[in-house]
Amino acid sequence: MKARIIAAEDVLCIIDLLREKGYAVVAPFRIHGSDTCFDVVNEANRHAATLHLPNPLYPPKRFVLPHIQRIMTLQRTSEGMRIEPTVAEQRLAVFGIRSCDVAGIGHLDRFYLDREYRDIYYHRLRQGLFLVNVACTVPGVDIGPDCFCVCTDTGPAARSGFDLQLVALGDRYLAVAGTPAGEALFASTIFRKATPEDVAARRLALANARRSFFHRTSWFAGAVRGVSAGKVSEETWEEIGNRCLECGGCTFVCPACTCFTVTDRLTGPDTYERVRVWDSCALAGFTRMAGGFNPRKAVHDRRNRRFFRKLSHYFVQRELSVACVGCGRCAAVCHGEIGMPTVVEMIRRGSVGEEAHAAA
Amino acid sequence: MPHQLTTCTFCGVGCGLYLETAEGRVSGAYPSLSHPTNRGRICLRGWHVHEVSGSPDRLLHPLIRRSRGFEEATWDEAVELIAERLRAIVMQHGPQAVAFLDSPRCSNEEAYLLQKLARAVVGTNNVDHGTGVYVHNSINVLLDMLGVPATTNPIGDLSLSDVILVDGVDLARQLPTVAGIVLRAKLDGARLIVVDSRRHRLAGHADVFLQIRPGTEATLYGAMARVIIDRGLEDRSFLKSRCGGFDAFLSATEHFDLLTAAEECGVPPEALEEAATLYAEAQAASLVYSTGLEARHEETIRAAVNLALLTGQIGRPGAGVYALTEHNNLQGVCDMGMLPDMLPGYRRVTDEEASARLGSLWQAELPREVGLSAREVLGGLGNGAIRGLWLGRYDPASTAFFGDAAWALQQCEFIVVQHLFMTETAAFADVILPTTAFGEETVTFTSTDRRIQVAEKVAAAPGATEPAWRHIVRVARALGAEWEYDGPADVMAEIGQAVPFYEAASYDNLRRDFGVQWPCTWQRPVGTPRLFADGSGEQHPFRLQPVRPPVPVPRSAEFPLTLVFGYSNYYWHKNVLIQHSETLKREYRILLLDYPEGFVEVNTEDARELSVRDGETIRVCSAGGCVEIAARVTDEVRRGAVFAPFFVKNVDQAIRGHAANGSPYVPVRIERIRP
Repeated sequence: MKARIIAAEDVLCIIDLLREKGYAVVAPFRIHGSDTCFDVVNEANRHAATLHLPNPLYPPKRFVLPHIQRIMTLQRTSEGMRIEPTVAEQRLAVFGIRSCDVAGIGHLDRFYLDREYRDIYYHRLRQGLFLVNVACTVPGVDIGPDCFCVCTDTGPAARSGFDLQLVALGDRYLAVAGTPAGEALFASTIFRKATPEDVAARRLALANARRSFFHRTSWFAGAVRGVSAGKVSEETWEEIGNRCLECGGCTFVCPACTCFTVTDRLTGPDTYERVRVWDSCALAGFTRMAGGFNPRKAVHDRRNRRFFRKLSHYFVQRELSVACVGCGRCAAVCHGEIGMPTVVEMIRRGSVGEEAHAAA
Repeated sequence: MPHQLTTCTFCGVGCGLYLETAEGRVSGAYPSLSHPTNRGRICLRGWHVHEVSGSPDRLLHPLIRRSRGFEEATWDEAVELIAERLRAIVMQHGPQAVAFLDSPRCSNEEAYLLQKLARAVVGTNNVDHGTGVYVHNSINVLLDMLGVPATTNPIGDLSLSDVILVDGVDLARQLPTVAGIVLRAKLDGARLIVVDSRRHRLAGHADVFLQIRPGTEATLYGAMARVIIDRGLEDRSFLKSRCGGFDAFLSATEHFDLLTAAEECGVPPEALEEAATLYAEAQAASLVYSTGLEARHEETIRAAVNLALLTGQIGRPGAGVYALTEHNNLQGVCDMGMLPDMLPGYRRVTDEEASARLGSLWQAELPREVGLSAREVLGGLGNGAIRGLWLGRYDPASTAFFGDAAWALQQCEFIVVQHLFMTETAAFADVILPTTAFGEETVTFTSTDRRIQVAEKVAAAPGATEPAWRHIVRVARALGAEWEYDGPADVMAEIGQAVPFYEAASYDNLRRDFGVQWPCTWQRPVGTPRLFADGSGEQHPFRLQPVRPPVPVPRSAEFPLTLVFGYSNYYWHKNVLIQHSETLKREYRILLLDYPEGFVEVNTEDARELSVRDGETIRVCSAGGCVEIAARVTDEVRRGAVFAPFFVKNVDQAIRGHAANGSPYVPVRIERIRP
């Protein structure tokens, strides 16, 4: 991997480079209070784009898996239904995407692209995506109270999945190219050669960052063991379920959650559109079958589904990691404090046969 | 800007959320982490608001009923017709023959202008909002006892309470953001008392769950007050310095007896005692009740508020009374004077000084007799007195809790409906005015904790739709009024003059942060998060009210069960917004798919005794009549109670009849149809 140095005051010029290359660029902005978002950069707001901000709550996964997306139009004609797929394409760069979200897109890739069926809607949006990852190094700003990527091994700096990665070293950033497309940016004169000292400084910066996480030890291994071996007591699942108010928020903000539902809606007298919208395993209608039978009728049955999907060994083996990227968003949106870190802890304490371990 | 802070418009909590737009359409929604009410949380409804405005079923043009049915018309045609017909009705039958009803979802601007149209232009106090019947009880009691008819503390304050008493509201389903704050407070060590005849989600978390016999709340609170007094747990210094009416209250309370009350309420006396001592001994306790349908008579609310005053649990961080409004702008619509007996700012229509002051602001002579309420209007159109009816975003035909609104609408000569969709009610209209949806107009809403917030326009309005407040201006002008408002901010400026506690609530001020909690005056432009917090003011701003033990509801052998009407979680699927959002429609219709003809809920034990199975059609009989309906057998409902969701109208009608007296409790018996 090639590395370069870029001065801190030049870092927003990467946005200009990408726009010159024909990318629409989204970058982090502050909106109101401590709220932030990824928004499209234009002439008017370019100066306000800010690399180091609390990670936006609304996850950048929506750039490849939109909250709501039209996938086809249907028209009733005298010859029958005429169906037109509406496959959107884009050339979009996400400037300042965090390592957790990069890992999240990795999960989506594995789900939508790396299996028997390749999802064309996802694929087309994904093809044109360019990711400029920024390592989280500023405590209290990049690294929030709910962040725990050091526990899921996805941060503070992504190991792969980005086109370009930036690590702040005071007055400069070390830029690392992850793909040839990322490396192509180094042709610009804003980048200069990196020295071995710069690389050492990067290592130090990341080591310091790791130490500033509030959650530094997690018990994912124990949770995976408990969930996979069926050792989590029914009482623990019930307690988790009792605290779920069925808003669906945790799945909507989760960078690694993939579920959607498909619905048709009328757009005119004889025309329909088929849209897909984010769906959530927290909701009763998610598993309810035609005829009324619901295999996961109780809230805790639905809620444990989420954690089985994310933590059970079956999936971990298939995806080579837990389906959690440590962004902490589920903890921030949860009404009942059953975000991933809390649940992992509850599973650890509530697993049958693990009490001795917990006590020790 | 593609990410716009706005306020959610589903329920009264007023969560802050962002709308994302792409290509002129709302493409996504997510909560604000910084908003003081929801702090990063929203409920299922908030996560799906963006699905609503894209609905293809929207009304796009004014419609006029002609011989062949509804036909599209221009705004001028529609407005002229309305003006002409209203003028004719007023000419022939007087202004009292017209009524103006709106929905508690209407904006402040809309509500203010509609009641101004009624009072200053047409000349009638026949104004009300669709949920008036029960909310008025709460308004009257709070005005009388606290002097302010609203929740006293910010919703976020619940996290500072160490005891929270939740009465008669299924927070987890109706106001999930509030449920979340209560739940997290509980996880942080607060004690939770739940008073309800239903075992709802939050009841499972309660330290003390008083699953009382329906309608016995006043007895329960009276007995709790007695326990507090007997143990000397009342706040003497608070009573002495800030609260009047103690002696009369004390002598009334002496008529309560713990054991009798516990028996009457159907709860263990120890639990009643524990609830009373927990609440009284708390550093800061909050009392949470709903002003919605499941709230009840004035006496109950009085008894509950007495507890807060007796123990001084008011006006401090974490200590307050929460009169929750379940609809997004119920508070605002009342503040704006959409009430038959009160002007904007809760001044009585009979109050000479207030009437003169507003009259000079509006340059009109205001009517001084109390108008007809929504119940009176729709429960028979005031015995034929109402000939012209204006319904602002209100759909009584499918949502009213009164006998037969559809029948009443048929009797009416001329009906104007403002709505987004062709509702059941709109089908009765003579003129339909299409309104803009959430995100297509800039207006303000006032949440249940008095937070006035701007809901911003983020997308273009489709077709010829216009903000509902503009329709009202158009009609007022056609009726000869000289109304000039360039935009909603102008309306708000006038509201500031009409409603003293909105004085400084200009749009600029409201947008500065996350809205402003009223009173928002020139002295206090940043608003007042906690009422009564400064402890200043008059010597005795509060007033205890004597509540005598209510006459016990007679339990007859003929009708051993009590039928309770309410919303609980079965209300939202009737909501037009829900019906036009795919995910929400799916989620909120599930029970209706399981019981397509509606249902009443029967307790599992009662069902076993009666050999009634889940889903079986049973006959429910009261003294008023019988109805056949499916039984939903569940532990959620208390033994001896039968719960009927309000939307199952044939139950409402058959059991209570057209002349329903409004009591939500009816003695009934259940019969099996096939033995």
